[in-house]
Amino acid sequence: MGLLVEHIDKSFAQNHVIKDLSMEVREGSIFGFLGPNGAGKTTTMRMILDIIRPDSGRITWNGKDVREVPRRNWGYLPEERGLYPKVKVGDQLVFLARLNGLSKFAAREQLDEWLERFQITEYRNMKVEELSKGNQQKIQFIATIVHDPLILIMDEPFSALDPVNANLLKEAFLEMHGRGKTMIFSTHQLEQVEELCEDVLIIDKGQTVVQGSVREVKRQHGRNVARLKLDNDPEALWLDTLDGVQVTKRRQDYIEMQIPANLNPNLIVEAALQHGGIISRFELTEPSLTDIFIEHVGKATLPDAPSALSKQAGGMN
Amino acid sequence: MSKKTVVTPEQRTQQQEPSPVAVGLGRYDQQNTPRNIGLIIAHEYKKRLTQRSFIISTIVILILIIIGSFIPTIVKYISATSTAQTKMVVVNNAGPIAGMNNDALLSYINTNLNGPTQGQSTSSPPPYSIQLASADSISSLQSQVKNGSLSILLVLDRSANQDVQFTYYTNANPNSDPNVSNVQTVAGQLSLLDRSSRLGLTPGQTSKLFAQPQFSVVSVGQAQNKRSTSELVSGIILAYVGFILIFMAVLLYGNGVATGVAEEKGSRIMEILVNAATPYQLMAGKILGIGAAGLTQMTAFVVVGISMLLLQNPIQAALLGSSTGGLNLDITGSSITILLLLLLYFILGFLLYATLYAALGALVKRQDEVQNAVQPLTWLFMVGYIASFFIVSAPDATWVKVISYIPFWTPTTMLVRAAVSYVAWWEIALTVVLMIVAIFICTIIAARIYRFGVLMYGQRPGLGQLIKLARMK
Repeated sequence: MGLLVEHIDKSFAQNHVIKDLSMEVREGSIFGFLGPNGAGKTTTMRMILDIIRPDSGRITWNGKDVREVPRRNWGYLPEERGLYPKVKVGDQLVFLARLNGLSKFAAREQLDEWLERFQITEYRNMKVEELSKGNQQKIQFIATIVHDPLILIMDEPFSALDPVNANLLKEAFLEMHGRGKTMIFSTHQLEQVEELCEDVLIIDKGQTVVQGSVREVKRQHGRNVARLKLDNDPEALWLDTLDGVQVTKRRQDYIEMQIPANLNPNLIVEAALQHGGIISRFELTEPSLTDIFIEHVGKATLPDAPSALSKQAGGMN
Repeated sequence: MSKKTVVTPEQRTQQQEPSPVAVGLGRYDQQNTPRNIGLIIAHEYKKRLTQRSFIISTIVILILIIIGSFIPTIVKYISATSTAQTKMVVVNNAGPIAGMNNDALLSYINTNLNGPTQGQSTSSPPPYSIQLASADSISSLQSQVKNGSLSILLVLDRSANQDVQFTYYTNANPNSDPNVSNVQTVAGQLSLLDRSSRLGLTPGQTSKLFAQPQFSVVSVGQAQNKRSTSELVSGIILAYVGFILIFMAVLLYGNGVATGVAEEKGSRIMEILVNAATPYQLMAGKILGIGAAGLTQMTAFVVVGISMLLLQNPIQAALLGSSTGGLNLDITGSSITILLLLLLYFILGFLLYATLYAALGALVKRQDEVQNAVQPLTWLFMVGYIASFFIVSAPDATWVKVISYIPFWTPTTMLVRAAVSYVAWWEIALTVVLMIVAIFICTIIAARIYRFGVLMYGQRPGLGQLIKLARMK
């Protein structure tokens, strides 16, 4: 059953932010929630958490309205991180855990366990403002999971993390996955999604664009990616004249193009040989989520929000 | 943590108009409300009490209170031990004055200058040591005055019309010498006695002639509320201390509430908090937690202040051998009532204003905007505060009665009325009921603004939008 979002709508004043959005997150799965800035990801997450209510539609967890699910089952990592800067790490984590329904004893026990796992037990009696950013991130993550929630909802958990800390977080993700937690997270780093998620949802302007398991989404895309390198003709301008072939990148080391799934890739090799090219590389791959994201969202975003697009493209390469 | 420099479309639309993002009011697991509020109260209370600025300001104010309460004793002690005797020599060339010979004259001057207690008090010498000298030593006495070994030389002569003439020799600046007026008073009495005796009056008749008339003041209001004058005086003192205390405490802790809310918003911990608890729980917990911390601080001030004042009498008795003239603070009867009212009105006033402070704190984006945002509340409370100064002298005016029933001004004005005048018990009860109703209404309005405000990071909404937000379900 898991989490079921059915046809929700939400407007703020005149802004229709979420339009007939539906999604299903299987219990115990890791779910990637993607979309450009302003697509409505944070709003949707807040509605799942019952911080705000949809104007219409239903959100249920295992058939139960989310409003009736006890708070301690939810863990939330907001996009804008925040803790009490002047309160000791241990004090505020115990406070948050207890506010989420844990007893004082259980809160301390959980805290000990997590501080040890992240190897930061010595920070227990320090104030948050005295810690480095990386360590603050760890504390923030502990604040999300210290009460041992069933469902984790994380808004951009990887943003502003250096590779070492990102790896640590990824390990914690897999650990939570192993414990059977359901995880929903949004990110702009699509490699993380390909690595971690079983299912994804891409939304834009409050509407579903693509949805399904990662493999399914790639298959639905109906295109493959081919990479070609010709030693004697790095530009290979004749590629543009081939039917169905769409060159996406001309790089120093290869040319990348998209071809319809039903196109026989041999055609490209034959054409290259006809043009007297010396082939040093030719490969056929599935499209990456980045390709799919740009294809679906990039076009839609282009007309009225070019700044957002350029940021997207910049963030993903 | 990261500050994004790129303006995303989402942020842009939020800045154009504050999108009313309302946090859900009621969740189904609201049976947790008492527990959550309790946790938040404890958290806020502990946070305040361990805050360095809170501890330091408490200690500094306590030290000031202790020093302040000791100042009268210290001043008395210093003046009692440091006054040397003033040496005065009297030369009488006028013969018997009012039938008194030289010895009688000396004892008369002695009694009148040193006061009747002279001779009884052994702990300190009398302020003046007075001697008689003969007329031929005048010139040597004058040079003694000049070199400072003698303070005052007083020479008595008879003028042509038989009046006594006094000549006062001193080395000090006569304008700033307090002895001049003391001696002049005695001289005036002597001259009067002398003239009346020349007119044939006996000293007894003279004293009858100049006796003070009996002049008694009867206050009708005093009879009504059955208070002694000393109770009235301590009532006025308590009124001043009380309403100033209420004003400062409500402003201080109200600001603390607004700052605390803005801080949680600014540091974005609010996003986690609204997931764990409802906005109403967060607001109530914050107000009650800070209120409890404030009450603790105020109690410390009042207890230390009163006990220090009560300590003064025994200390003065030990230092000066007598406790006369010490501050006799009457902590009985009506004063206790006023102190209880002070507590009651502080709590009610704080709750009333704190809800509004919380709502305003929830509307700002960053902590440094708080001062600006809460300004209107400060002005509102200021009206009652300034009015209270006038009420001390006119507690029974009609406008005072009207103003003291308005919940926002009740805490200061009603306290003053109760302290300096007569207030029926039902008037107190009525104001309490009115204030509770006002607190109830303000809490509802504030909770609504709060749940929109806590997740709003756009421009501060105007008054019209606020009203709209408060009406939204």
